This record gives sequence, C-alpha cells and structure tokens, in this order.
Amino acid sequence: MRFIILTIFILLLISGAGAAGQSGTIKGRVSDKNSGEPLTGVYIVYGKNLVTITTQDGSYLFNASAGKLQITFNCIGYLSVTKEILLNEGATEELNIKLETKVQEIEQIVISANKNEQKIAELSVSMDIIKASYISDNHINNAEELINKTPGIEVMDGQASIRGGSGFSYGAGSRVLALIDGLPVMAADAGNIKWQFLPLENLSQVEIIKGASSVLYGSSALNGVINFRTADASNTPLTTFFAETGIYGKPANKSRIWWDTPRVFANASFSHLQKIGNTDLGIALNLLDDEGYRRLNGEKLGRLGLKLKHFSTKINGLSYGLNINSGLTVKRDFVLWENAGEGALRQQEDAALELHGGFLSIDPYITLKKSNRYRHELKMKFQSTSNRFPGSGKNNSNPNSLYSEYQFWYKISEIFDITAGASGNFDRVNSNFYGDHKRLNLAGYSQLEVHPFKRLNAVAGIRIEQNSLDGINDKLVPVMRAGLNWQAAEYTFLRASFGQGYRYPSIAEKYASTTLGSITIFPNKDILPESGWSAEAGVKQGIRIGKMTGQGDISVFISENSDMIEYYLAIYTNPETGVTSTGFKATNIEQSRVYGSELEISLNRQTGNINTSLIGGYTYIYPVEFNKNTGNDTDIYLKYRRKHSAKMGFAVTWKRVESGLTFYARSKVLRIDDFFLNETTGEAILPGFPGYWSTHNTGYLTLDGNLGYKLNKTLTLSFVVKNITNTEYLDRPGDIQPQRNFSLRLSGSF
Amino acid sequence: MKNLASLVIISVCLIALSCSKNDQSERFKLLTGPLWRTDSLLASGVDASAPGGMLAKFKGDAKFAEDGTGYFGIYKGTWRFNSDESQITIVTDSLILPIISDIVELTSSSFKIKTMVPNPLIPTESVKIRMTFKPK
Repeated sequence: MRFIILTIFILLLISGAGAAGQSGTIKGRVSDKNSGEPLTGVYIVYGKNLVTITTQDGSYLFNASAGKLQITFNCIGYLSVTKEILLNEGATEELNIKLETKVQEIEQIVISANKNEQKIAELSVSMDIIKASYISDNHINNAEELINKTPGIEVMDGQASIRGGSGFSYGAGSRVLALIDGLPVMAADAGNIKWQFLPLENLSQVEIIKGASSVLYGSSALNGVINFRTADASNTPLTTFFAETGIYGKPANKSRIWWDTPRVFANASFSHLQKIGNTDLGIALNLLDDEGYRRLNGEKLGRLGLKLKHFSTKINGLSYGLNINSGLTVKRDFVLWENAGEGALRQQEDAALELHGGFLSIDPYITLKKSNRYRHELKMKFQSTSNRFPGSGKNNSNPNSLYSEYQFWYKISEIFDITAGASGNFDRVNSNFYGDHKRLNLAGYSQLEVHPFKRLNAVAGIRIEQNSLDGINDKLVPVMRAGLNWQAAEYTFLRASFGQGYRYPSIAEKYASTTLGSITIFPNKDILPESGWSAEAGVKQGIRIGKMTGQGDISVFISENSDMIEYYLAIYTNPETGVTSTGFKATNIEQSRVYGSELEISLNRQTGNINTSLIGGYTYIYPVEFNKNTGNDTDIYLKYRRKHSAKMGFAVTWKRVESGLTFYARSKVLRIDDFFLNETTGEAILPGFPGYWSTHNTGYLTLDGNLGYKLNKTLTLSFVVKNITNTEYLDRPGDIQPQRNFSLRLSGSF
Repeated sequence: MKNLASLVIISVCLIALSCSKNDQSERFKLLTGPLWRTDSLLASGVDASAPGGMLAKFKGDAKFAEDGTGYFGIYKGTWRFNSDESQITIVTDSLILPIISDIVELTSSSFKIKTMVPNPLIPTESVKIRMTFKPK
C-alpha cells in the first residue's frame, strides 16, 4: 500500500512538473510529397489552442510541454497528417513531413442529389459540376449556352436533353427541372426553362443530376435536374465585376450576310458579397445587349438578384433569409428562316414576334439546424412571369406561382439518416394564348440513407404526388428511387441507382391554340402525363499520378419513358371551331428507350508557376422507340437525338497568363419530324430545308479558345473566340447556331 | 465484400431492367392477329373505294404486324396505338401526313375506324372518313 501511494505521488509530481513548464522543442520542414517543394502556411496543431504555421521555406519550430504529443499538419489542397511524438524535457526533436495532395475532384461537396451536403464521389447517381470560374473564363453569357456545353447534355432551342432523354417539343414542357438554390424556376404556363433569367453572376456552382430525379424534385425532373447554386458571403467581402464587348464574324457562307455593319453584343455584370454582423448580403446585376447574328433576333436583358441571410444570435442554429431574382427582357426568338440560301439568317417577319418579358421571384426561407444531427427547413417561392407581345396580344400570358416546401433531415444514428418533406405548388395562368387556368401540385416524400459499413452508402426514397388542374384531380402518383455507393478502394467508388420519373403536362401542351406564321397549334385537353425510369451503374476513380490529380468516371445507363409527349403534325379538328386542318398537337406518342454509356475525365497538374488542366467527356446513346406490346426495341430512332457527343478542354495558367482551348463534337441528328423532310410540308414550313438537311446533317466539330492576362491583383483582361472553325451547324431544324464570334472582357475582383 | 457489392449493383440493374417487361394488350392481339380486308371505305357517307376515289388506295388487304410495321391497301408503313388504345396512327412514306383515326370498334370479326380530313375542294369544311375491315 505504501508503495502504491509513493508511486502515485511520484507520477503526479512528474506530470505536475511538465505542466509547470518543463518543455522541449520540435522543429522541421513540411514539403510536397511529389515535388519536394516547401509548403508555406501549413497549419500545425499540437494541442488545444496551440497552433503554428510554416514559414516561406516550409520550416517550423515550436516549444511544447514534454511528454507525448499529437501533432496535426493541415494545408489546403493536401491530405492532413497526424503524428505522435514523445518529447523529452529539454530535447529538440526534428520532424519533417511530406504532404500528399488531395484528389480535389472527388472531394467536391454537392447538395442537389440528396438535398443534403455530400461528397460527389459518394453519390449513387451521376452528377456534373460546373464551377463559376469556367463561366467567366469562357465568357459564357447565358445559362442555355453553359448547359449546352456540358458533356452528355444538349439544349435544342431551349429544350434541355440529358443523355438523350428529351427531343425537341417546340418549347413546351421540359423533362429537365431547373432550380435556383434548390427551388424550381419553371414557367407555370409553358412548363419550360426561362434560361435568360437564370443567374450566372454570383454563382457558386451549377450541379447537374443526370437521370430521373422525381422522388426529391417531383414533376419535370423526369430526365434530370440542373441546380444553380448562388454563392454565400464569407468573412472577407468580395466584389466582382466585368464589362465585355463582342462582335459576330462573317458566316462561312458569305451569301447569308444581311447586315451593313457588323453585329455586336455587350455584357456587363456586378456582384458583391459581404457579411454585416450576423447578416449575409449578396447583390448581383447583369446587363446584356445582343444585336444578334440573325435578322429580327436581338435581345436586351437585365437581371437583378438580391440575397439576404440572417443568423440568429438568440437561437443557436436558426437562420432565415430572402432571395430575390428578377429580370426584364425585350427580344425576338428565332422561329423560321426565310429560306435555306441567303435567307438562312433572316427570320420570316410574320413569325418574329417581339417579346417584352418580365420575371420576379421572391424566395423567403427559414432553417433550424444542429450540425450533424437534424435540420428543419421551410422554403417558399412566389414567382411571377410576364410575357407580353406588343404586336400580337393574343399570345400574351401572365403565369404566377406560389411554391412552398417543408423539409426535415434527421440523423437517426451513425447508420441511418432520413430526409422527409412536403411541398405544394399553386399556379395561376392568365393568358390569351392558353386561357385562364389554375393548377395545384401537392406532394410528400421521404428518403432513407443507410451507411451500414464505413464505405457503403445506400439510399431509398418514395414520393407521392397529386396534380389538379382547374379543380379536376389527377390520380395519386407514387415514384421511387434506390441507389448504392461503395468505396472499393481509397480513390475508387462504385455506384448504381434506379429512379422513377413523372411529368404532368404543361398548360401549354394542353391548351395552346394559335397560328404562328404557317404553323397552326391545336390544344389537346386529353393529353396524359409522361412517366419513366432510369438506371445506371458507374465507377468514379480518383487519379493521382506524380504531380497530377484528377478523376475519371465511366457509367452505363438505360432509361425508358412511356406516353412521351411530342408535338405531332397531322390533320386535326379544332374542338372550338370545328374546322379540320393541318397542324401540330401535343400527343402521347413515344414509348422509348435510351441505352448509353458515358466517360468523363478531369486532370490537373501544378508544376511551379504552371497549372495545366484537361477536362472532357464522351457520351454514346442508342435512342430507340420501344414496342410495349412485344417488349422489344424497334429499329426506329427517337427524334432529335445524336449517338455521339464529346467535349475536350485544355487549359494552361502560367504566372499571369490564362489560356484554354475546348473542342465540341456531335454526330448527326438521327431522326427529325418527317414533315420537315417532305418536299411539300417541309418547303411550306421551312423553305429549302429538305435539300439543306440532306447535305448539312453530318455532325459537327467546333472549337473555342480563350486567353487572359492578369493586369494586377484586381483586374484581368481576357479575349475569347467561339467557333474558331466557323462551322455552320444546326440544333433544331432551321436554327443555325452562331458563326465565329469574338469578345473582349475586363473583369475584376477585390 | 467486393462480391457482395458487385452482386447488389448487378441486382439493382436487373431489377431496373425487369421493370420493363410488358404484356400484350387484348386490343393489340385482336388487331395484329388476322389479316384484314376492307369491307367499306366511306367519305362523308359515300363509297370512296372505286378507282379514282378518295380512299381507293386503301382498298384491299391490311396487315398490322406485331413489330409496328404493316401494309394498308397499297401503302406500306408503320402503325401505333395511342396510350389508351382508343386511336390508331398510320404513317406511310406515300402520304404527306400521318392518319390519326378513332377506333370505333375492334373485335375479332370487325375493325372500324373514323377520322376527319379537310375537304380538298372547300378547305374550311371537313370530310368524315369511315373505314371498316373484316378478317380475311
């Protein structure tokens, strides 16, 4: 007993002596494992509130209490390293550390896939991320162009198709849902995406889910989701701006030049993010004036965004705020060319309606969360759109919508967490074009995520949704999803998923009734909802080869859709006038299947002052009609799809110089509406088109280039040439895309 | 563990694929079963099957094959039901526009369809088309 007491006394004396200040010294050097270059500013944590950082030559030195120490080395872009060391009194220990770079590409955090923050590599679905820097480096001035330049996606005259899930349906109805910060921004009347009002200024990133996503996002997410996430304020105020001017060159076919003076465009943007006390403030403005490269196809646009977020000081975890997005535009959409010859860049005057459009979205929200435990979120959105055609009042439309969603996330245990919610959307459309209508969508959803093992994530969810139009209820629709992600090795992630989708027809598809130029549109009140599913399996592989990091992703997928809605040219009887004539009507036409595979790669290498990066993707699809009665694919291709599409971009940054080249390639369109190719109907709608198509539907390759120079810490001057090869190509029939064009931009941030 | 995950992934894909299994509908069987022959071809209630008549080229046999192809008189092309199988659409290269017709009757002994087309002489007026087929 006396021995034990003596021992305890001696131990207490030793530890007390240590605490009283007996210490040793630790010094060393931190360097990059691959290059051996010293790392400056590495945070070294060696106890509670005990931190030091490395100097310019990567060295460090600190004194610490003698005894067993745990030292952690943290550096942005590198994997953290923790070492344990026994420091004797008065001793000097040397500890040299080599840090390994992170594979940033698989560490990126996304939110759209499960409505919860998650690493992209751990998702069970395919997702692409577009960073804000890509938008500014390439002078991309509208969201439609941005999405159209993403691998596996084609936007055909405003209609987005992810992996061949959609064709072209004349602007009515979208199978891809667009969101701003998780809230839908679809037009309540046509059910399409108002691309011009989607913000590109003050963006954090754009997240694209490839595949049916109706369980979390409901109707319209049949083919995927595009979420524009705006940036949050940080502790350092940030102001960014640019002013740009550009000019369209001459088209490859000079006979098509219709202008006397070159066509120009100008764009300017300003955004500011700042924390003021416990409130985050964000403001963004964009102004665009594009004369257009086609006659009667110019656009003037202004966008204004405001973001307010307040963190409560009284209730821990409570925040609330308001996002406002608004815009005004005056433009003419290009519908029909005059002819396939010298009139291909001139619009038929009777189809060139000038639109005076307005958009206002007010989105209040409140969130209560406890980190890593639970989150309650209530979001609302009031959206009003005005489509006014001064020269054709019969086409005017004023759709308004009120959306609200409550969402609850709860971490039940280390193994289970659950996301559940309910949403309601009320649309009110006052329109000379569609008539006056009211629509209500109510939905409830729940999703369970399971992590039974450290490297395995599983997810399963269900949504039940009901639509009613003008007081008439549609059936209750359940949709489901399930997915798995398994980390097979340190940088290898396998995934598989299945998801169902559903889309209730837009008011345009049911009620649009008009004549535009030579085209008559018939209403179809009996049109049925579309439904479908998609499944995929994929592998995401992080890459680290010497100084190069990156990721590769390969996937195989299949999707099937039933009752697909397409505008179909035939002879119809107008239910209101009783007159039978030729025209278009939204019709449940296609049972379809799309098989495909996709390969995406991104690589980044930093060597001294030189940073090189390569990013690209290739998508193959086999889109065919499906005979539900025989259970077999037919040999009839779906309309407005291409088998092959590819993108490859290469960028180099050296000291103050940034440069890049991006190739885009798409194979020919497999099939279009027969009437465009018929000598009688094709010539009547698009003069010269049948002959033009036979020689021009060959696929295309275009090349964009950018060059920038940092004038100082604040300002950058950049020059971009799009379509360097001056390739003439179409998306939908009659819609020739821009010829070579040049832009010069002065941008800055401080 | 690797095998387990691979198995689960494959299972998910198989489940997904199995969802697409479809059965033939009764109407599909009735239509694709026999070889049909026109019984009457009427335009505004008047026989239009005589040589030079509006529907003369439809006269004869009609076959609606299971794979969606077929022939209808002298025309060859494709056919498809609409979603609730209340309409049939016939597309041929020989006709400028597809023919979308309401199915009035489809039994093992009779197939009747009707549609409306613009009157070629008076475009503001319509012509009612009725076609009746019997099994051959």
